[in-house]
Amino acid sequence: MSGPVPTTRPPAGPPRAIELMPAVLQHEWDLYHATWFTLMGVGGGIFLLARLLRLERGLGVWLGLPVVDLVSFAVISAGGLLLIWSLGRPLRFLRAVLKPGTSWISRGAIADFIFVALGGALILPGLALGGATSFARLPWDPWASTTLGRVIEGVALAAAAIVIVYAGLVLADKAAVTFWRSWAIPAQFVFSSLAMSMATVMLMQTLDGTPIESLECWLLAKFLALLLAVIAWHVVTRRTQPGKAEALARLHTVYGGLFWGVVITAGTVLPMLLAVLAALVPPTRDALGVAALLLTVAGGFLLRLLTLRVGYFPPVSGVLRVPKR
Amino acid sequence: MRWGMVIDVRKCVGCQTCTIACHEENALPPGIFWRHVVDVEVGDYPDVRRAFLPMGCQHCAEPPCVPVCPTGASQQRQDGIVFVQYDMCIGCGYCAVACPYRARHMIHEQDWYFSTPTPSEEKAREPERHGVMSKCTFCKHRVDKAPAGATPGVDPEYTPVCVSSCIANAMHFGDLDDPNSNVSKLREAHQPGVLLEELNLKPSLFYITE
Repeated sequence: MSGPVPTTRPPAGPPRAIELMPAVLQHEWDLYHATWFTLMGVGGGIFLLARLLRLERGLGVWLGLPVVDLVSFAVISAGGLLLIWSLGRPLRFLRAVLKPGTSWISRGAIADFIFVALGGALILPGLALGGATSFARLPWDPWASTTLGRVIEGVALAAAAIVIVYAGLVLADKAAVTFWRSWAIPAQFVFSSLAMSMATVMLMQTLDGTPIESLECWLLAKFLALLLAVIAWHVVTRRTQPGKAEALARLHTVYGGLFWGVVITAGTVLPMLLAVLAALVPPTRDALGVAALLLTVAGGFLLRLLTLRVGYFPPVSGVLRVPKR
Repeated sequence: MRWGMVIDVRKCVGCQTCTIACHEENALPPGIFWRHVVDVEVGDYPDVRRAFLPMGCQHCAEPPCVPVCPTGASQQRQDGIVFVQYDMCIGCGYCAVACPYRARHMIHEQDWYFSTPTPSEEKAREPERHGVMSKCTFCKHRVDKAPAGATPGVDPEYTPVCVSSCIANAMHFGDLDDPNSNVSKLREAHQPGVLLEELNLKPSLFYITE
């Protein structure tokens, strides 16, 4: 420090907002929530994609039930049970459906229940235990070839879509964390979920000996390209916003290796390039199914975990004047 | 009726008596503080002062923590007090991430400062208050027991303990809707401000700063 200490007072300017409480990281949501978000996204996406692409018949049947649907229900159920277990209030959790008007957790929980209930009902007529098909007389079948079946499937698909999107909306809708308050968060989660689900379906096709179609490879590549575009948009816009600036700094430093190395490069760009390659070179598609699943799941899970871990509450600021003596 | 506080920052000396009184009154576990005092530097050289701001739940009229609660455990009373109905809370933490004032605290386990609860901890313990979210209640257990003729904010026994324990008379509690209440008169005289006004949450804590 050099120069004389000023002895005259500078002219009084307008009062400035000062930081009363600095930005701080949220610590409420972490590993369990990232796992829950991931499993919900993958579970809903598997059902959605398999049904929309009409792949459910070709992915195996177990006890008369489509295996791909069972995998979807199992993943969703695992996500729900993990959350309930982590909260430690299994009986109280039933109350989580009480505020669908305002809470995305409530809406999501209702969608979960509707999805599992209607998805389960949809495939129930196919159930064959020891040769007995007790539910075969129901007026629909697991493949939704009747009108009633199509209605049930349609509602289940809508519920699955909500299951995929609600995790992102939980963060984006009402949270005080600036980094989360963007449409980009649910968009990222949706594209990531669809990519992971597409990769899961492709792996199941590989295991079942069913050929992977070029359309599926292109879809996977498009989901990942859209994911990359949304992530890029989110990290380059409103970078100086209080709370988001701190989040981006942490994302690029403390978690820089995981974010750029695993989420972006290994979890998004690499499987996207592999998907394009597989679309153009059919013999590589089986290998793609395995590689894409590993890469997209690792990237998708870390995307969610890092999103939570860089969640800063913005500083609390206020205009205070010098109290007069 | 809407309960609220007016805090005269000019008088607060940062002694943290309110912090400790709240902690003791509500038998909060170690590390959980519903009331705390922020110590900030105000002004530009040479006109610089330290200022102290008692912080906590702002009991917003439009509380963001209430609508996000999936179970309805996070509630707002007619008199404006925002609280958690512990036996309905599933501990999901949504309200905590929705509160821009960071006024909600998860109590993960029942914990004491020593191996067994002290007499005051034993007296105020709420067994259902662990594994759930917690927050300042404006000491509604004190306010609600005010008999006819007693006035919370005037009679110390029926006033939030942070206010009644303030050694500098910097904190005031009362009915914001009553034009004759102590807090309404202070608001009229000093035009106090609120924190994060831009969020339009209509907090019930007002700060007199000059």
